[in-house]
Amino acid sequence: MKQNTKKARDPQTRGEFYLRGAKDSLPIVMGYIPVGIAFAVLSLSTGFDALQTFLMSFTVYSGAGQFLGVALAGSGAGLVAVAIGIAIINFRYFIMSLCVFARFKELSLLKRVGFSHLVTDETFAIFTTNDKKFVNMPYFLGLFTTSYIAWNTGTVLGILASKILPQTVTLSLGIALYALFIAIIVPGARASWRMALVIIGVAVSNSVLTMILTSEFGRSSASWSLVVTMVAGALIGALFIKAPDEDTLFSKSDEEKGAGGEVFKAGSGRTDKAPDSDMKLTGDGQ
Amino acid sequence: MDNSLYLSLVIIIMAVVTYPLRMLPATVFSKARFGRYMHRVLYIMPYTALTALVFPGVFSSVGSYHYAAVAGTAAALILSLFKTSLSVTVVLSVVVVYLVLVLF
Repeated sequence: MKQNTKKARDPQTRGEFYLRGAKDSLPIVMGYIPVGIAFAVLSLSTGFDALQTFLMSFTVYSGAGQFLGVALAGSGAGLVAVAIGIAIINFRYFIMSLCVFARFKELSLLKRVGFSHLVTDETFAIFTTNDKKFVNMPYFLGLFTTSYIAWNTGTVLGILASKILPQTVTLSLGIALYALFIAIIVPGARASWRMALVIIGVAVSNSVLTMILTSEFGRSSASWSLVVTMVAGALIGALFIKAPDEDTLFSKSDEEKGAGGEVFKAGSGRTDKAPDSDMKLTGDGQ
Repeated sequence: MDNSLYLSLVIIIMAVVTYPLRMLPATVFSKARFGRYMHRVLYIMPYTALTALVFPGVFSSVGSYHYAAVAGTAAALILSLFKTSLSVTVVLSVVVVYLVLVLF
């Protein structure tokens, strides 16, 4: 994303912003279609019919959640266990949705009610790590709706192809979304060694904590580890990592960043993503 | 309980639990104003969230073929270190996993 935004000319019209959003969703699409196929194959083999499989993707729209739901249904879990399991594994959407709509303030209540359904790990990741100039309705729509369509398209393709695809192919597709996450994380870690430190810390502590929790309390407890380490990592990281735009937001007497603030930022692209260069420390010893 | 009804109820419960998790922060809690520290937390959270989603989950993303998952993870890490585009990284990682599964 970083290199893309620098090379390409900035969008000007609503249509161009929509197309840029759709273009930025391409990596998500490349991830969602194969994973959607893999999900549908698994769902059908568990006993869900084609319509149920499609409706689950349409109404739940959560890769990890749907895989968990299928696994729970396959083991005949009670409905309360399903509710608790899904609430735990999808609790992260609460935080992600908070981030997305804290960034995207100028939206009517109706749009918030409707579009919040489209927040996922991937759309959240791209929208919240992208430049401020892409915080507008056409870009949002291009990014979020294209991803949603891709997830449902992948599911339908999986329903249609479940009889044809060799198992090796569906297995390999399992790595797709993780590869996308890695491709989003690594540039952030490269830009700042402090961020790299936090990322490595989260990776190690989540791995260790997951191992301990699953051996003590079973597989579903792993998502507790996920929530704890992602929140703890951000709380600790915030002690010594500056947000790139915090000086424009908080040092000026007025933090209302209307059009003026965005125009001011527009020329800088994402070069401001290296918070290391002019780091102000508030807690160096942490 | 009839199995098809049970599966339908599972889907309904999943949807009814998931939607408010996304909708409430966008509506009820959206009026919250954040200070400098919370602003930083919200900036860093995407990275910590994605990291926690990847590690250790990625190692069991190819069923029980952990070695294939490790190869795919290595491919994704190396490709993104060389600033390959997101789509290319995703596709090549899948190809690497496929090749490892077929060859070994």
